[in-house]
Amino acid sequence: MSQTTTIHGEKISLLRVLGPGHVWALGVGIVLVGEYMGWNFSVGKGGAIAALIACWVAGLLYTCVAMIDSEVTSTVAAAGGQYAQAKHIVGPLMAFNVGLFLVFAYTMLEAANAITLGYLVQTVGGMAGMTDAAGEALVLHDKPFIVLTIMFLAWLNYRGVYATLTFNLVITAIAFIAIIILFFAVKPWTGEVLKHNELLTGLPYDWIGVIAALHFGLWYYLGIEGTCQAAEEVRSPARSLPLGTMTGIMTLLIAATMTWYICAGLMPWEYLGQAVTPLFDAARFMDSMPLMVLLFIGTIFSTLASANGCINDASRAWFSMARDRYLPQWFGAVHPKYRTPYRAIVFLVPVAVLFAYYAPLDQVITFSILSGLLGYTFMTFNVIMFRRKWPLGTIQRGYVHPMHPLPALVLLVLCGATYFAVFLGYGTQLMAMMLFFFIASLWFHFHRYRYVRRGDQFSMPWPRPQGDY
Amino acid sequence: MPDISTLNNYQLLEYGAWGLSFVFGLWMLLDMMKTNITYSEDLLISSREGEIEDALVIDPPHQGGHL
Amino acid sequence: MSNGDYIPPRQSALGQFFDSVFLLALVFAALFAPIYLGLAGGGKTELAIADKTTWTGLGQNPVMQAAWEKLGYTPETAAPLIVSRFDYSFDLIALGVTALVVIGYFLLVVAFSKSEYREVIAERFGRKTD
Repeated sequence: MSQTTTIHGEKISLLRVLGPGHVWALGVGIVLVGEYMGWNFSVGKGGAIAALIACWVAGLLYTCVAMIDSEVTSTVAAAGGQYAQAKHIVGPLMAFNVGLFLVFAYTMLEAANAITLGYLVQTVGGMAGMTDAAGEALVLHDKPFIVLTIMFLAWLNYRGVYATLTFNLVITAIAFIAIIILFFAVKPWTGEVLKHNELLTGLPYDWIGVIAALHFGLWYYLGIEGTCQAAEEVRSPARSLPLGTMTGIMTLLIAATMTWYICAGLMPWEYLGQAVTPLFDAARFMDSMPLMVLLFIGTIFSTLASANGCINDASRAWFSMARDRYLPQWFGAVHPKYRTPYRAIVFLVPVAVLFAYYAPLDQVITFSILSGLLGYTFMTFNVIMFRRKWPLGTIQRGYVHPMHPLPALVLLVLCGATYFAVFLGYGTQLMAMMLFFFIASLWFHFHRYRYVRRGDQFSMPWPRPQGDY
Repeated sequence: MPDISTLNNYQLLEYGAWGLSFVFGLWMLLDMMKTNITYSEDLLISSREGEIEDALVIDPPHQGGHL
Repeated sequence: MSNGDYIPPRQSALGQFFDSVFLLALVFAALFAPIYLGLAGGGKTELAIADKTTWTGLGQNPVMQAAWEKLGYTPETAAPLIVSRFDYSFDLIALGVTALVVIGYFLLVVAFSKSEYREVIAERFGRKTD
């Protein structure tokens, strides 16, 4: 078998094949599922009005995230996204932590998607109402579909990024159009279907409920920052990444507001606050089979698109860390034929399956949100250090965000409020998570970092940073 | 293994899902092992963090996904 | 070129394996511990409502009532959802400790990162001579 010998110096890398549409699909695809499930827990936290306020406040938070992220990533275009940013701007240990935030946020989100999909298949199975010979109602189990979702998407990811994200582009577009069609179907210009006057009950928890609602308010947008994970696979990252990210956040702001408007005008907040698939429930209100089928498909597609993007992003982050030997270098391999980080993809499969199988949905979502939140906190000081070390004009930026440092400060304040919101409901998880990152940081600094090449980590063609370095 | 004639459609669906999951998982595992053996480790881990603009632009339909 | 750059040791396959297992174990411990110890999730309270058997008793207007019925609920099955409330009372000391932990964590990470970063820059751009 001599075809196996490699020419000396030969290298393989990820493929640059993606356009701005794929970036949009990766960003929106991951997040749009938040409109189909999860956001409504914020209704439970503080009532429907609180959820709308949280939706817009979180929208502001994410606009800051998108602006900051677009500027930094239009210069630091590497597969790890924020991980590579942290490595170049703050330092190795921060990068290690950011890499773990990313892997956590996306793997947990992937698990949440699989759980929702399994639940939906089960619900529809129940509605089909099959009975056995004795007339007992049969139950369709959700577990096989949870596992199948993860396995199929991992397989798709394994086989190549272009097919994976083209698939995402199509199903994300369909899921988005489904929301728009539902919006027009409820005739928002008349009062026939939507009854906001009768259903909105003010703030059942007063203002603390608004802050508490911020916890799940993030869910409307969580993951949009994942666009920059694709940096090494995009044809012209300096242009495509900011474009895809900004159009993505606009799409989501529209979809989130429409979703709230539909659901809050149809269902009592006490129900909405604990529903698993709120948009599908909204379609059930319309007594229209085609709408129900459409929203069923929309929910399925949005969970698939999201889980798909999550596998893509989590594996890129894991891969990038391994390439720098922050993690065992074995994971830093690229498949010679499919040009994907195949070992990272396979390794993360059992992790996602275990969580989807054993952990409850709101817990899984909370882990994901917390990891995201830690990452946004990092972005605030990251961009300030970025502007200090490389002021405007010292390096070429594809995009410069306006009003610096205002977005960073706004982001910091909103992150603080969200930590408080998470503390209110899930203080123990917050502490467990901090303990984990604390131990992991010590492990990295005193043990793992020994295997890392120092100067090689800085791979951008930039001048020496300004300041005392 | 239950008698196939007593299975209802739901059970068939469930077994189908398990079966497909197994096939996808096995496919990935086998391909991973095959790839690990076929190519040298140095080649597999030769990827490095890239520059921002890559000169090489590959024709997507032909090399992006499958072949 | 030997110019004082740090040459890392090559990690054995076994070492790589152990590091992966360690990290995985840590992840599962951190994420599943709160679930298994039953510490996950916030406290709940219930509204004191005398009449939980009628829609009016539960404070639902006709539109709400119609919506609940459409979703397949009766006053009895809807009551647990309607009277349940999250308990947002909290301990100021616990809040203070949590805030300190989060801030302390970021300070620690940034401080360690800074010392590692100096080394990276020194190797990449050469040491400053002054």
